[in-house]
Amino acid sequence: MAEPHLPERQSPLEPEYHPGSHGNFEHGVDVILSETRPGSILQLAAWPGEEKRLIEVIRKVTGLALPDGAGGGVNSGARAVFGFAPGKFTVVDEAEGLAQAFAGSITPAIGTLTDLSHGRTAIRIAGPKAEWVMAKFFAIDFALPAFPLGAGRSTNHHDIFAQIQRSGADQFDIYVFRSFARSFWKALCHASEEVGYEVQ
Amino acid sequence: MLITCPYCGPRDVIEFTYQGDGNRERPQPASQDLDAWNAYVYDRLNPAGDHNEIWQHSGGCRAHLRVVRNTITHEILSTAFARGGHKSADNRAEGRS
Amino acid sequence: MSPRRTETGGRIDRLRTIRFTFDGAAYTGHAGDTLASALLASGVTLFGRSFKYHRPRGLLSAGVEEPNALVTVLRGEVREPNIPATMVEIYDGLVAVSQNRTPSLAWDIGAINQLGGKILSAGFYYKTFMGPVIGPLKGTRFWMFCEHFIRRAAGLGKAGTAPDPARYGRMNAFCDVLVVGSGPAGLMAAKAAADQGARVILADLEANLGGSANWSGETIDGMPAADWAQRMAAQLAGNDNVRLLPRTTVWGYYDGNTLAALERVTDHKEVAATGEPRQRYWAIRAGTVVLATGSFERPLVFPGNDRPGVMLAHAAERYANEYGVLPGQRIALFTNNDSAYRSAVALKKAGAAVVAIIDVRGDISNEMRRLTSDAGAELLAGHAVVATEGGKALTGLKVQRFDAMSGSLSGDERSIHADNLLMSGGWSPTIHLASQAGAKAEWDPARQAFLPPKPTQRWIGAGAFTGSFSTAEAIAEGRAAGLQAAGGAVSSGPLPVVEAAPGDPNPAPVFEIKAKGKSFVDFQHDVTAEDVRLAHREGFVSVEHLKRYTTLGMATDQGKNSNVPGLAIMAEALGKPIPEVGTTRFRPPYTAVSIGSLAAERFGDLKPERLTPMHDWHIANGARMYSAGLWYRPMIYGLPGETVEQAYVREARATRESAGIVDVSTLGKIAVQGPDAAEFLDRVYTNMFSTLAVGKARYGLMLREDGLAFDDGTTWRLGEQDFLMTTTTANAGKVMQHLEYFLDVIWPELKVTVTSVTDEWAGAAIGGPKARAILASCVTGTAVDNATLPFMGIVHGRIAGVPVMICRLSFSGEMAFEVYSGAGYGTRVWEALIEAGKPFGLVTYGLEALGTMRIEKGHVTGAEIDGRTTARDLHLDWMLSKKKPFIGSAMMDREGLIASDRLQLVGVVALDNRPLNGGGHIVEELDEANPHDSLGHITACCYSPALGKYIALALVKGGKARHGTRAFVSDPLRNRFGPVEIVSNHFYDPDGSRMHG
Repeated sequence: MAEPHLPERQSPLEPEYHPGSHGNFEHGVDVILSETRPGSILQLAAWPGEEKRLIEVIRKVTGLALPDGAGGGVNSGARAVFGFAPGKFTVVDEAEGLAQAFAGSITPAIGTLTDLSHGRTAIRIAGPKAEWVMAKFFAIDFALPAFPLGAGRSTNHHDIFAQIQRSGADQFDIYVFRSFARSFWKALCHASEEVGYEVQ
Repeated sequence: MLITCPYCGPRDVIEFTYQGDGNRERPQPASQDLDAWNAYVYDRLNPAGDHNEIWQHSGGCRAHLRVVRNTITHEILSTAFARGGHKSADNRAEGRS
Repeated sequence: MSPRRTETGGRIDRLRTIRFTFDGAAYTGHAGDTLASALLASGVTLFGRSFKYHRPRGLLSAGVEEPNALVTVLRGEVREPNIPATMVEIYDGLVAVSQNRTPSLAWDIGAINQLGGKILSAGFYYKTFMGPVIGPLKGTRFWMFCEHFIRRAAGLGKAGTAPDPARYGRMNAFCDVLVVGSGPAGLMAAKAAADQGARVILADLEANLGGSANWSGETIDGMPAADWAQRMAAQLAGNDNVRLLPRTTVWGYYDGNTLAALERVTDHKEVAATGEPRQRYWAIRAGTVVLATGSFERPLVFPGNDRPGVMLAHAAERYANEYGVLPGQRIALFTNNDSAYRSAVALKKAGAAVVAIIDVRGDISNEMRRLTSDAGAELLAGHAVVATEGGKALTGLKVQRFDAMSGSLSGDERSIHADNLLMSGGWSPTIHLASQAGAKAEWDPARQAFLPPKPTQRWIGAGAFTGSFSTAEAIAEGRAAGLQAAGGAVSSGPLPVVEAAPGDPNPAPVFEIKAKGKSFVDFQHDVTAEDVRLAHREGFVSVEHLKRYTTLGMATDQGKNSNVPGLAIMAEALGKPIPEVGTTRFRPPYTAVSIGSLAAERFGDLKPERLTPMHDWHIANGARMYSAGLWYRPMIYGLPGETVEQAYVREARATRESAGIVDVSTLGKIAVQGPDAAEFLDRVYTNMFSTLAVGKARYGLMLREDGLAFDDGTTWRLGEQDFLMTTTTANAGKVMQHLEYFLDVIWPELKVTVTSVTDEWAGAAIGGPKARAILASCVTGTAVDNATLPFMGIVHGRIAGVPVMICRLSFSGEMAFEVYSGAGYGTRVWEALIEAGKPFGLVTYGLEALGTMRIEKGHVTGAEIDGRTTARDLHLDWMLSKKKPFIGSAMMDREGLIASDRLQLVGVVALDNRPLNGGGHIVEELDEANPHDSLGHITACCYSPALGKYIALALVKGGKARHGTRAFVSDPLRNRFGPVEIVSNHFYDPDGSRMHG
């Protein structure tokens, strides 16, 4: 279980997080930006050959069944999981304390668990122009057939490393290093001005 | 230039870091054979044609790859995980680009 | 009414009038006009002055290949030079100026250069300014004297100095089929591929899709070709799987079918919408590319071919048909092929008088004779133009009998009165992108042109690009290319029906008329036919050398107009056929590309900022920040009126007297986990980690494979299989990559995961005699006394209600603790520590004080671990385990790495009580006039409050053996000379009693 009564965590975006409509929004906003602030962000890694067992553990603990294939993933709203590297998965939960839930089940024979709940910042971009804005930053194909629902991708925008999950037909969750988050957020807002954006 | 990562698929070369000549063989850790160590640390093949190289997908999944690249045409002939064992499930392994 | 605007016709919007200025004079045009067409309609004939001779120049073309009419567009303070007037769409308030003239276009002082034509011939710069100085007016020094004047006299537009406030965008795009060019071939290809369900991008550098259909006057499927093109474009625009990119120049074709394009998003607008970029750089990754880039009409080379009023034939046709502008009232044409006859008819239809068609060929087909009479023109077969007349506008021309086989002229000159001479020297496929893609173009003797090579990447050609110059062929090839690119079956279905003027696509192999006077090959660089022959006489035989020596085909022209005529003249001079002379390879970019577009989506100093969890607190509390790599870290927390030195001295002194706290969140942190983690660390570090107890930390040193020092830091054992490695801030990324390399490539059998957790943890180091008392007053859940938390021990507890991990270790040399918490709690814990420290006199300190205290302690950082030093050089040999091999162990004892005269770490004290400088040299003998024989250099320096002296660390030959000896600092760059004493690097508390408490 999560430790009770922990205070709220500070967002790295705070001074640059301005709810409301911005940019060219006279004719409506085409993307919505938000920080989703999940309670738990974990990295699970399986030793070669142990991937199936790890996927089974993930299913047992989170109820999320990973589809086959590199970068496969699934997102239930409250929870999400996706592959981002060979044998490696990012698991996300709205609630804190997911690491404790996994603690007994990731045995040394299967692999490792690393808690990154503080170290990664989750930014969501949603709306009809989400693909357009994302394509300004990342040299990967965001079209639905190439990047299916739930799937994960590891990529970078210059120095900023990012893991991206498609959490909806026109919605992406971007996980960036906390220290880069504000810089990335500012760039994301800047790039969204053209289509009009709302911060929620 | 595109390199097909066996995990991530074809990606721009900007996501990758060159990690050296893939033909080098590291002596046993306890080896005192200085010639062998010298060859490993300093000697590099420089072929005009197909070349075994190590690349890291540093801006992606971070896996190291064994890449065969033609140094004249830049054609990537094959890519594979340097660390065996992991096979991607969607047959992207050993991908040609 | 504009003097040259036709009554009707053209594809401009005559109901919309647009006002702009050119060289300060007000003009009007219509929506759909380019700057070129609007000025031409207003009677302007003079558009620029030539590069070298400052000859008056008019419009040569109507498109992207325009070499003469280059203008500078002004937006506020920002100048964008060298844009072809033919590519500037007019908008209300456009301000454009001409280039390369002083004081005005009509009256240009530089035109005096025309008199010195012989001196300014090919290789002028090389001959005059290179090599040894012989006499006063030769050589490099003479160049340095003349450069200012020449740069002003010769050249293109002037760049501005004001910062460019415009926004630039970048877009990464993916498609199955990229179609470059939207003429009939490109439109058909895009349509065919889109109908197959392929993802299609169609890019065209013009504002209106349709290419030649917009002005050819042909009929497709019973309607004007321009209407057909518009209908096709509208159909394509309605497809979800098609993206149309007008005003987008595909300028680079790179490996892996990656193409670069520049979209001019708002250059044609009065104002950009909020957030709209001025230009957008597209990086397009295409499955297959359809190259439907069309062709360029070639000029003919004859005396006076550069006079304003001499123009390419199709350009005049385009001005008439697309813009409703007649470039002249009495028009003559000069051609070596059939296409000019169609132009003649079009201009006649538009209302001009076509006085003559001068054709180098003696034998003219009946069809062309019929077109000649349709145009109401006199046909002068077997004739050539030998001169043009007029000043700033054409008044007439002279023709003579011409034999196309021998190239010889005969008979009397005959004068023809005309205000416009149109020339057509045949057509060259626009093969730039195919050439960039990697293969050599092939000469086609029938078309007298270089045709695209066999593809080495995944592209398919269509239309005039392939040498198929008729619209019917373009339509058929376009559809076939589109189908093939999309993986569709070949179609034999009916094609749109084209009604077009007849014509043989093959020209006569005539490029130049040799008569007296300057005949221009490259208009932009003022390269004449005689310059090309001169280059040949002086021994230049390779086309690549020819290009560089004569500057033929350089700058924005890039061979668009000049390539083939230049090669043909060179080939003739060499006595070789053109294919043996070959052609230069085209390189990106196809047209000029703004630097702003290449830097798009990067802001400020072009780097992202990396901020620690406590960043905002530092700012709010008066920290002066500085950047360390991408990180921002407090340098000092200065008080009002304090200098930097005063501030860090105060901070360091207070830390040693009571306590200080510093943000160490930037330290690289790597989770090393798994059953083989301890074994892995034993291999990676020079010392043992498998013997480290859980709950303890150890200082570790890493070497590179070559045995030199790489990085240092403490590693904490949090669990049996769970380590937290720390690295220096600067090397975090390199160490991570190093570990990943060994796990992936060298020791794949090890079960170890390495993960960057730098950002997971906020770190605060609190040190000083009162540090423990401060901690004890605010930590719950654990004691921090010596028994519970010994040196290098780790405990877990809570501060301000959140979990923390505390390790007792010291960089400052004081009793010190590193307090780690989840990054989201970093500020909370930091503030709690500050609050707890208030009664104890706790100060915050920045990097300057941190550096000062580490220098006092003689600890090494990146300044000493500089990639050239060994563990021994740094007195860290006690860390080299003899019980195990580790990375670098085999190589570290090589002869050169253990030599006694290596630079070794020492301390240096200034004996003259003045500051020392990093990089200053240490010498035995002071010689200010002629500094020599460096013993080594200073790596770090400070004023030491603990010692009350200016001290430094240095790497000095002999090292320890010099302790206690005198030497000098010699720093001629900063004029700092003076006596120093060499001492141990452990200046302060050498036995560590303070930190062990």
